[in-house]
Amino acid sequence: MTAPDQIGSVTPVRRRPYGLLLVATPVLLVAWLVIWPIISAVIQTAFVTTPDGGSAVSLETYSFFFSDGYSLSNLSMTLWTTGVCAALLLVVCLPIALYLRFSDSKVAAYVQGLAIFPMFVPSIILSFAFIRVLGPNGTVDLLLNSVGLPHIRSPYLTPWGPVIGLVWDNIPLTVLILLSGLGNVSNQAVEAARDVGAGKLALLWHIILPRISNSILVAISFAVLGIFSAFTLPYILGPAAPEMMGPFMQRTFRELLEPKTAITQAVVTFGFCIVFGLFYVRSVAKNRAA
Amino acid sequence: MSVLKIKDVSKIFPNGTTAVDSFSLDVADGELVCLLGPSGSGKSTLLRMVGGFETPTSGLMTIDGEDITRVPPEKRPTGMVFQSHALWTHMNVFKNLAFGLKLRKVPADEIKRRVEGVLELVGLGGYGTRSVTQLSGGQQQRVALARSLVLEPKILLLDEPFASLDQHLRERLREEVRDIQQRLKITTLFVTHGQDEALSMADRIVVMRDGKTEQIDRPDVVYREPQTPFVAGFIGTMNLIEGVVSNGVFSKAGYATPLPVSDGPVTLAVRPESLDLSAVSQGSQGKVHRVTDYGTHGMVDLELLDGTRVKAMVPHPDLFKPGQGVTLAPKAIAAYRDGRVIHRTGVVATTAHPALVDA
Repeated sequence: MTAPDQIGSVTPVRRRPYGLLLVATPVLLVAWLVIWPIISAVIQTAFVTTPDGGSAVSLETYSFFFSDGYSLSNLSMTLWTTGVCAALLLVVCLPIALYLRFSDSKVAAYVQGLAIFPMFVPSIILSFAFIRVLGPNGTVDLLLNSVGLPHIRSPYLTPWGPVIGLVWDNIPLTVLILLSGLGNVSNQAVEAARDVGAGKLALLWHIILPRISNSILVAISFAVLGIFSAFTLPYILGPAAPEMMGPFMQRTFRELLEPKTAITQAVVTFGFCIVFGLFYVRSVAKNRAA
Repeated sequence: MSVLKIKDVSKIFPNGTTAVDSFSLDVADGELVCLLGPSGSGKSTLLRMVGGFETPTSGLMTIDGEDITRVPPEKRPTGMVFQSHALWTHMNVFKNLAFGLKLRKVPADEIKRRVEGVLELVGLGGYGTRSVTQLSGGQQQRVALARSLVLEPKILLLDEPFASLDQHLRERLREEVRDIQQRLKITTLFVTHGQDEALSMADRIVVMRDGKTEQIDRPDVVYREPQTPFVAGFIGTMNLIEGVVSNGVFSKAGYATPLPVSDGPVTLAVRPESLDLSAVSQGSQGKVHRVTDYGTHGMVDLELLDGTRVKAMVPHPDLFKPGQGVTLAPKAIAAYRDGRVIHRTGVVATTAHPALVDA
């Protein structure tokens, strides 16, 4: 038998769509519960009803949003809170994750437990704890007062209120993602760097950070996505005006009874979030390719 | 001149385990010393202490007379090649090599010249722009070696660098590493648990057991004149026969041979290549259990009358069949008592067969 005969005799394997069927349910659910509402929201805000009962493309709700000073200050407040929280999360969580990764001490287990603890505390409990501790006449004030010191300027109902709450709330997830990334930095890679003369800073800057850059991106994307659309903590701890997009949307919808304006705010919020979502998708794709 | 001196170094881990126990060694300039021993013998811990990655509990280590016992690894004049290569995958080959030089603020053109020179030395000229993940295991190990060499360390430390490579590549690389080490005349400490690696590369071998030195000698001496039963059994293949000496005769289950030592229990050590066999039909001292033909020679597995297994190397394995009776005539023997050699006679074959080393 010749080689071409052998090749010709091979029966092609029929690919069965079992794999596709397995993912069909979640894909349909995502399409129905996520994709369709997004499309629907964009359509609702991009069309207006004309006097003759027809519809026409109009971006007037967006024009209003981006020309309204109050809407813009709420957006910039949200962006500011998100940016500050992301920066603080990195500053707080990276040292914790580095300690947990490289420490052989038994204390590390307790530190990890403490870092993960906020995950088990509901936001509403956290908010009330915050008010009782840092609010006016809270524990800190009482302690200061008892030793004759003046009251603190409470962050409650200031832009720093949501920042403190959101950072605390996002520490567990950020630490876990960074710790998982640091798991890919082998001890020998670190020792090899020390062996060629890298001190602690050079080690962090040239070896560890580049190796966990994807994890940092994922952690920040997750944190930003959560913080940008956060509601409970900004609603309870934040100022009445300007306010973050979450409470702003809720108030526009329930108190001002302007659903179309609220949907426009939601689409704008989604627009910002999708950018960080794309960062995450890109990072996952890059990891898979590697 | 780069001389490493290790004096009475011990390492006791916090859980109480003694990894290295009062170890002393002098490594001469340009010498390659192999630390050889089974897992848990303390050889890697010792190497890591020389590299600065572990701190000795007690003792002193000097390089060219300078105390380095407490010096951190980034400030030591040592270069270490790790078992897993430990290359930085976010850098290409050139950057992996240049990193240490950049930290030392070497000018860019000097970095380029030195990196390219070392890459040529390890046979990777032109590979600078390659990603390390695109390289084979052997090439990655060469890059790891080049990364250490480019910094011109006084002492090169190799921690089982070929352990993750296949046998063929391992043999080729160890020859290349030995050539480079001899060309650069760099003082080298090499950890391995492969006796073939140690025997083929080292100027001297340190056989370690339970954190202590069993023997330090040239490879041929370690092979031919092991000082303890442990070394005898660990290096190459050795028949260790427990028996009793009475009136100058060693006896064990029907096998007897003259042994001029005082009466008492003795461990008789005979290399397979030092044991002559003769097929007999009557008065046998043992019988053939299995015959293995390696092409260049044969290995006969024998059973003494009490079932003790003994190996003998024969030039013509076809002369022996399983079940056949044989007599044994050792050409060279050593006798051990209380863990020390008490008698040695004859000369073991001048050239150890490679197959024995790997056996």
